[in-house]
Amino acid sequence: MKNTGLTIGGSLILPACYYEPAPFRFFSREEADCLIAVCECIIPADDAPGATDAGVIYYIDKQVMGPFIKFQSIYREGLAALQKDCYKTMQYKFEDLPSDQQIKFLERMEGNHETLKSWNAFQPSQFFNMVINHTMQGFYGAPRHGGNKDYMSYRMIGIGYPQITGQNRYGKGDSNG
Amino acid sequence: MDNNKYDAIVVGAGAGGGVVAKQLAVGGMTVLLLERGGWPVYDEHINDELISQRTWVLGTAFGPDGEKNPRVIVRKDGSHEVIGPTDGWDYNHIAACVGSGTVSYGAMAWRFMPEDFKMRSTYGNVTGSTLEDWPLSYEELEPYYEMAEWEIGVAGDDTQNPFAPPRKKSHPMPPFEYNREANVLKKAAVRMGLHPFPIPMLRNSVPYNDRAACIRNRTCCGFACPVDGKNGTQNTTIPRAIQTGNCDLKTGCKVTEILLDDSDRAKGVRYFDVNDKGTEAYADVVVVAASAIESARLLLNSKSKLFPDGAGNNFDWVGRNLQGHAYTGAFGLFDYEILDYVGPGASLALCDYNHHNEGIIGGGLLANEFNRLPYLYTGIRPPGSRRWGKEHKDFQRFSYLKNSQVVGPIQEMPVFESRIQLDPAVKDHWGMPVPAMSGERHPLDHEHCKFLSARAEEILIEAGAVETWQSIGGRGGPSGGQHQMGTLRMGNDKKTSVVNKYGQVHEIDNLFIADGSVFVTGGGFNPVLTIMAIGYWVGDNIVNIWKGTGLKS
Repeated sequence: MKNTGLTIGGSLILPACYYEPAPFRFFSREEADCLIAVCECIIPADDAPGATDAGVIYYIDKQVMGPFIKFQSIYREGLAALQKDCYKTMQYKFEDLPSDQQIKFLERMEGNHETLKSWNAFQPSQFFNMVINHTMQGFYGAPRHGGNKDYMSYRMIGIGYPQITGQNRYGKGDSNG
Repeated sequence: MDNNKYDAIVVGAGAGGGVVAKQLAVGGMTVLLLERGGWPVYDEHINDELISQRTWVLGTAFGPDGEKNPRVIVRKDGSHEVIGPTDGWDYNHIAACVGSGTVSYGAMAWRFMPEDFKMRSTYGNVTGSTLEDWPLSYEELEPYYEMAEWEIGVAGDDTQNPFAPPRKKSHPMPPFEYNREANVLKKAAVRMGLHPFPIPMLRNSVPYNDRAACIRNRTCCGFACPVDGKNGTQNTTIPRAIQTGNCDLKTGCKVTEILLDDSDRAKGVRYFDVNDKGTEAYADVVVVAASAIESARLLLNSKSKLFPDGAGNNFDWVGRNLQGHAYTGAFGLFDYEILDYVGPGASLALCDYNHHNEGIIGGGLLANEFNRLPYLYTGIRPPGSRRWGKEHKDFQRFSYLKNSQVVGPIQEMPVFESRIQLDPAVKDHWGMPVPAMSGERHPLDHEHCKFLSARAEEILIEAGAVETWQSIGGRGGPSGGQHQMGTLRMGNDKKTSVVNKYGQVHEIDNLFIADGSVFVTGGGFNPVLTIMAIGYWVGDNIVNIWKGTGLKS
């Protein structure tokens, strides 16, 4: 941001805090924190990177403003319902749970468990299946769409990048984000 | 070529239309070739798995445009659902660009076997199926297969395939060397008494036709080729057609109607140009080659006094018998990296199971699979595996290069009720009713898939796989996909078919079809070389008729 100070009476007063530009195009910070935690359960980091490292959240955030625009409301409603049920049944926000508890909660979503009561237009499993799918795309797809930072999943698999089979033309569209 | 008047108009610049246009142009006819898409551009989507013709979660690399081209799928309960090309497989899309699927295909170059043209004579009547003989024999089509192989360019050698149909001339290029996986599978297959051989491919194993040899790019099937070493109509017959000076190619043109006169002739077509301006063009001959779903849709949308239900549809056969290929096979995990990840992946095939197997009508080839890119692979797991979490990630990480897949297309039994119709409510961007697809596969398809998958698994076990599982296709429907066929059936009887053996619509002498629509049955093979051969066959017949007499106005 350019306008970080105000000039009053000839002296420059720096503000006590400054506005951080919103890091996401669609998700609020709270939604993103929850979704990042869900994605990390789907592809967890170990000695190889996980969904958070690869920037899967940026993939999803970018696509719901484009080809996945039809999924905006299911993300908004689904994350709210997930968080509500999580707080009711586990007494914590999803992202604040230890990972074994997160996994247990997601398994309940997978099976549409009876304790999940905040879901209306769609079932918890439908929402979770969509997130699984998008997480896989963000982790294993091309970096130009926001995820798979520096082709880290390709390197994990051992197929390397860039390809060396007879071509050298990766200038266009390959940069992250 | 003034005043929008040509000797011939060809609708669709794909595997069939791209060949017909060239045959007509070389034969001295002026041709207007209309393509709804544009020229394919490799650099736009390069090797991006999520925007390709194999995985299209974010869009198709070469069309069609989803916003402008909705389709309707009719569910079992009769409900109509509007879908776009990125909504899974139900859309049954084929690339909309110059060359169509031949730009981004895996490029297997199969000749059908003689039995594939004589399914009814070979196997008899099949309850619930419109299984029938073609009016055209393998022997009649053989010279046209040869034209396709030599002009468009095929690398292969079928002397190792004892089931290969007879040929007069060898393939123009030597076959590709086996990759690591194929070398392993070959030894196993030979031990089992089977007959593996290198897959014939529409790719350059050596420089050919002034274009480079294949670089074994790992992203081949589903993608354009960065060095133009893959052969389609976009880099062979279509440029040659244009070079004659007789052929105008117009891209971005959506044909919505064949114009019919009050008697039994086609006058031309109505289309929207690249700027969405509605216009008409006229010709002595109209050839439709827009792929099985779109060609049938176009005929259904072209009505006249004599054809109130659509061109050629007075006996209600237009749009019927929609077929494709159920893919079926098995996976095998090895305790070493069996994949060397050299493109395109598919390398070895066998035809032992295409015909004459006890209790099986038809059958299909088996081959090792094209490289599966990482996202596609996330859906490939042994039965009962977890779909997420550390177990899923570890499988991806540690099995990706150790997993071999043997797979093939089953010859489907044609079903009269598997069909496309014009949707009564939904229209596309240009106001043309969209195709409504309905029906189911024949129950035998799944039985045949079980047979072929079991054979695939046997090979993987013999090859030393430590864990194997089958994936069995052939359920649901309607079929179609990128191998869509059958909707404008070729036959001698106008009451049970749409075109005659020359591709000429019954009772409309100057309207021809030249794509997979005319197939009576689909073989257990990828159909593209047969579509190209049909293009040469129909094209030459048109030139002969046109030169002789009849169609010139």
